[in-house]
Amino acid sequence: MLFENMSMAFSAIRVNKMRSFLTMLGIIIGIGSVISIVSIGDTMRSLFADLYKDVGVTQAYMCVGYWIDDRRMSDYFTLDDMERVKEVFGDSITYIDSAASVGAEAINKKTTVNFDYTGIDYNYIDVQPVDMVYGRYLNEGDVLGRKKNVVMDVDSAMLLFGMENAVGQTFRTDLYGNVDEFTVVGVYKKEMNAFQALMMGGRSDRGSAFVPYTLLTWPNDYFYYLRLFASEDVDLNEFFDQLKAYVSNIKGREPEDMYMETAMEQMNSVDTVMGGLSAAVGGIAAISLLVGGIGIMNIMLVSVTERTREIGIRKSLGAKTRDILIQFLTESAILSACGGIIGIVIGVGLVSGIGMAFGIGAVIRPSVVVLAVSFSAAVGVFFGLYPASKAAKADPIDALRYE
Amino acid sequence: MAEELIRLKDLVKIYDTGAIKVLGLKRINLTINRGEFVAIMGKSGSGKSTLMNILGCLDRPSMGHYYLDGIDVASMTPNQLSEIRNKKIGFVFQSFNLISRTSALKNVELPMTYARVGKKARRERALKLLDRVGLLSRAHHQPNELSGGQRQRVAIARALANEPPLILADEPTGNLDTAASEEIMGLFAQLHKEGATVVVVTHEENIAEFTDRIIRFQDGLVISDERRGGGGSAV
Repeated sequence: MLFENMSMAFSAIRVNKMRSFLTMLGIIIGIGSVISIVSIGDTMRSLFADLYKDVGVTQAYMCVGYWIDDRRMSDYFTLDDMERVKEVFGDSITYIDSAASVGAEAINKKTTVNFDYTGIDYNYIDVQPVDMVYGRYLNEGDVLGRKKNVVMDVDSAMLLFGMENAVGQTFRTDLYGNVDEFTVVGVYKKEMNAFQALMMGGRSDRGSAFVPYTLLTWPNDYFYYLRLFASEDVDLNEFFDQLKAYVSNIKGREPEDMYMETAMEQMNSVDTVMGGLSAAVGGIAAISLLVGGIGIMNIMLVSVTERTREIGIRKSLGAKTRDILIQFLTESAILSACGGIIGIVIGVGLVSGIGMAFGIGAVIRPSVVVLAVSFSAAVGVFFGLYPASKAAKADPIDALRYE
Repeated sequence: MAEELIRLKDLVKIYDTGAIKVLGLKRINLTINRGEFVAIMGKSGSGKSTLMNILGCLDRPSMGHYYLDGIDVASMTPNQLSEIRNKKIGFVFQSFNLISRTSALKNVELPMTYARVGKKARRERALKLLDRVGLLSRAHHQPNELSGGQRQRVAIARALANEPPLILADEPTGNLDTAASEEIMGLFAQLHKEGATVVVVTHEENIAEFTDRIIRFQDGLVISDERRGGGGSAV
């Protein structure tokens, strides 16, 4: 009986091809836009997750709160503080530095380029991997000896020296008022997709380079921030709490006086915002599904009226109320589900196409697709219910007399 | 003794139009035996269509009893009536009432579909029935590709699908020319000869001539009930 109903439904849909298509269009657009929007949202979320993975999900910044009024000299961190933190927390911390960076002009003969210098420790490459293409990374000697050595990326080398292999080249720059000569010891390359390049700033007319962090804490070795990467094995919330308690203690402050910014928190809040946004926009798009459902109800009512005589004939031949009900429900459900499937194909195609165009892997959750098909069929059943019950309740004598 | 198929006992049908009540049928008592070939005649408004609807279980009497094949159908629910129509009655209508855009074969299969007969058995029987009415070669034609006489023959094949005890024809030749009418009535006569009970509602004397018993209606009452030569009539 199910098979008969389906084949009857398909032939009824085929009879009015144009009308069926226009009826489906509401569902096609509804499902298509819901899938596209939710998938675009999911893709953005996964891109941000990747971005944070790149930045380091375990990364955290810490300082004495900016809201504290009675500033003290002891609020600043020293190299000793850093050593104590390293010792106490040991393996829980994979990397720590003073989070110092500075912008300055770099001068090579007649070329002047604005550079951003980031102070790092020699093991920064462990937490933020890069591919060294020429020369070497900064080493322990550079850091301890406060050597004026830099590592820069290929693009910056091109900007300043007009060549990629700038190892051994020197340039002059001015950090904290002293013009000094710096030597390039290594050049690296970092692969980024279009989205990362966009978010990270990408190519520009500014150069960037790593310098030993000890150069930027010079001359007094006081600094305001601690930046660290926790080990991936620790419970981040617990670790950060312990860290906050310990650091506030050595600084003579309360834990709640400490300001801490973690990549994890940022990531979660971005994810929450993105998730909320895509749910909200998806919800608005879902309204078009409602409109599509009303379209189906409308056309089913027309169809029931047009086929009153057919209903009468079927009833005279022994069709029960339920048989007629199921026949029309099947028709509206199939109409709606076909629209849903076409909508999915269009939505998935659209999102994959955009993803491919930008070189980003589009995220299409199977659960969303399954939900969309079931939802569209449910829309068909729900909005088909009234027309179908109207058909099923028809009086056979009246229906047979209907011209 | 012939076996009773239809018995109407004090059957009354009142149409309640709100303002006034119209008496469609006034205490009808009527018996039709298995194997009879009966014509029900009357002018329009005589009550013959009302009777036809009640005999066909499309409508329920207001009062009295209607026993079909021993079952009192007067108090059945619409769904039970559907089942009775499906199993006990084969309809043949004036305007054929085939389902459009559906092959002759599918049309003949339809009553069996509602009787939940398996696909294979359904198809076999439908083909056999189409063969019997001489339309095997047209099994896959749609109604609009058939002539009026052919459509009515498909309808007769469909009426026979579930081997119902009663064939009920409502002006079966109303839309047909003389040749096709005679062909259709010949087919009914043939079915009658093979033992079927056929009730034909008509207003044409020459159509009624084919039957063995003519029941005339006027103003909701039976005014005459004459049995004529030929077999199958009651004692």
